[in-house]
Amino acid sequence: MGPLIPQEIIGADWNLFIAFIIGIGFGFVLEQAGFSSSRKLAGMFYGYDTVVLKVFFTAAITAMLGLLFFSLFGWIDLNLVYVNPTFLGSAIVGGIIMGAGFIIGGFCPGTSVCAAAIGKIDAMVFIGGIFLGIFVFAEAFPLIKDFYMSGSFGGLKVPEVFGISSGVFAFLVIIAALIMFKLGELAEKKWPREEY
Amino acid sequence: MTVKNIVFIGMLFLGVVIAMVPENTTKPYKLTAEAMLVEVQGAAEMVSADDVAHWVISKDPSLQLIDVRTPDEFDKYHLEGAINIPLSVILRDEYRDYLDQGVKMNVLYSNGTLISHQAWMILRQLGFKNNYVLQGGLNYWFDTIMNPQEPSTLAANEEFAKYDFRKAASSALGGGGAVALTAPTQTQAEKPKVVRTKKKKAPQGGC
Repeated sequence: MGPLIPQEIIGADWNLFIAFIIGIGFGFVLEQAGFSSSRKLAGMFYGYDTVVLKVFFTAAITAMLGLLFFSLFGWIDLNLVYVNPTFLGSAIVGGIIMGAGFIIGGFCPGTSVCAAAIGKIDAMVFIGGIFLGIFVFAEAFPLIKDFYMSGSFGGLKVPEVFGISSGVFAFLVIIAALIMFKLGELAEKKWPREEY
Repeated sequence: MTVKNIVFIGMLFLGVVIAMVPENTTKPYKLTAEAMLVEVQGAAEMVSADDVAHWVISKDPSLQLIDVRTPDEFDKYHLEGAINIPLSVILRDEYRDYLDQGVKMNVLYSNGTLISHQAWMILRQLGFKNNYVLQGGLNYWFDTIMNPQEPSTLAANEEFAKYDFRKAASSALGGGGAVALTAPTQTQAEKPKVVRTKKKKAPQGGC
């Protein structure tokens, strides 16, 4: 049955409309989870609030289990699902830059838009910074192009690399997530903050 | 027990289940029985021997003939440019690139149409496109293209046109009983009356 658009069950024109609906839902959930507060996001790095870890890992596990069970029931063909290609070098460097920006600015791109929508000035400044970064990246692209394209592995999946089934990998991710949730709670007890 | 712990245990349970069930149980067959019935009744998968002869002679690069008979039969005789993918091994990975593609037009053939249709059904159910069946198979190919019968004098003009084409195609493809039968004095094989389809020119230049 699924995925709906590659199987031509619904037209590709629906892509943006569906993205719009999901985007509104995503923004709403981010705001509800308190992610429009940069203190909550920074709390992840200082250990006094690990909601970010819990929310995103729960989301990942839900999506992962959902896809695997849909595949099990024959509702989706996972071979047709797009896998973002891996460029190892740029992924590592990009991750470090993203993480640094995250803790300096107190937002990630999604939450900054969310916070700007409820009128936070720092989030608006952050969005300005994003566009400045995009501009610099685009202008400097010829210089970093070789590095950007280095370490290309195509649409790689972790279970394929280690030669285990995706079900077993999913189980390991869940175990790892539950351990991290527990560690997060211990950290919250160890470095508590009264007001933030 | 708190809600949080219930969620944790639920996640763990689902994780154990998904780790133990076999992978890729998604049904490989893409078409429902109803959709298949419609396709089979429409007979859109059939291509006529005349069309195929035309493409072979004009060396149409988009044509890929696929012989689904056994390798022995393939070695004895096969159509020009055909590749051999026997029905018994049609699901092997090495042939997948030939069978599941969107560029060429695959024409499957066997002696009759039984085996080629069996192969086509499997490929179609897997969701592969661009696979067709040579109408009548090799037997019909020999009867019509390689040894065309002259229509009776009362036949329609189109019959004669068809006959002329088949006669020409026959000599071009190395058959040629017909040429000798109808014109015993003529030794020179007629050139096939084939209109080469002009390929569309690729767009030139950029913006």
